[in-house]
Amino acid sequence: MYFIKQFIYAFISTIGFSIIFNIPRDSIIKSGIGGALGWIVNILINQQLGSSSAGAFLGAITVGLIGEFFARLFKKPATVFIIPGIIPLVPGAGMYYTMRAIIEKKFITAAETGSETFFIAASIATGVIISSSISKIFKLKKN
Amino acid sequence: MDKKEQTKKLIVMSILAGKIMLQNGAETYRVEDTIVRLCEARGIKYVHSFVTPTGIFLSVEHNNELFSYIKRVKSIKIDLEKIALVNDFSRKFVNSNMTVQEGMDYLNEITNKKTFSKYLRYIFGGFAAAFFSLLFGGNLLDFVSSYFAGFIVLTALDKLSKYNVTFFVKNVIGSIIITIIAIIFSHIFIKTNIDKIIIGSIMPLVPGVAITNAIRDSISGDFLAGVSRGIEAIIIALGIAFGVGITLKTYILFFGGI
Repeated sequence: MYFIKQFIYAFISTIGFSIIFNIPRDSIIKSGIGGALGWIVNILINQQLGSSSAGAFLGAITVGLIGEFFARLFKKPATVFIIPGIIPLVPGAGMYYTMRAIIEKKFITAAETGSETFFIAASIATGVIISSSISKIFKLKKN
Repeated sequence: MDKKEQTKKLIVMSILAGKIMLQNGAETYRVEDTIVRLCEARGIKYVHSFVTPTGIFLSVEHNNELFSYIKRVKSIKIDLEKIALVNDFSRKFVNSNMTVQEGMDYLNEITNKKTFSKYLRYIFGGFAAAFFSLLFGGNLLDFVSSYFAGFIVLTALDKLSKYNVTFFVKNVIGSIIITIIAIIFSHIFIKTNIDKIIIGSIMPLVPGVAITNAIRDSISGDFLAGVSRGIEAIIIALGIAFGVGITLKTYILFFGGI
């Protein structure tokens, strides 16, 4: 039940972003599915392994691979699916908690949350790199 | 019409295609690819393009004549539909006998294509913010408050973009507005959680696109573009943190505690 709820929330948020970024009308639902699946992988890994950066990493790989797959299937640039899809993973919460710790002068908490935020951002980056490199390898093989 | 004139027209058309993509937030390697593909499709052998997030450089050699073209690109916004459309166009142009003039008309049509109406964008932007606050564990009242915060901040930023402010100032003002709204709502409804409201509503501002493009540019070997987009992401993040921080700090100073 928890996962179904989270799926729906992430789905609607991603759709909201795809409208802000004005993606093609026929791709809105697809990008929503990609973003929601990425988020589910993220929380699942986060619960099982207790590591938020591992969650963000595998979540970003999921979004990236789904995006590249949809891009081949529907002949659209992969960014159309990847950009709205990774937004739920972006550590906005971490950024906020770091700032809040700084203004409350809890500098140790700030360093902890700040470095975690940075690691999450780096994991998203690596996840996107790996998924698009994988898709490039497949593209070369096909040719 | 002689050949030289035609080559010039082709170059102008491919630059226009590249400009549309870059202005709407495409990765630079995609823009370079598109320009080279468009020129090569009509028999030009030596085409080199170099694209940074702020400009397009193109050099072409054809029939012993050299042409070069520089296009400065300003005001980058995000409109993924236009990128997809130009992508389709380049595929069509390469695989058919479309004339340059027809291509030009097609591109102008893409430029003038309507985006989603602004009210639809505000409404769905509000939903995006509101569902984010649920995603991070907010309750129903947080949902309502973030909806309003998201809606109002998107409206305000749209109005602000008319005054040509830089993106750093835009993000600072946006996050100040969000924090003020969150503080007001947390006083109206006792059960709200100010953290969840702010986290949900800053999501429309976070630099997701800049991060993705920076990475995708860097792994394609465009380090200049990658670094400059990466800096953009960092500055946006700092702007948001600054806006939220200064508002909360002022509130704490005047009213003592959140």
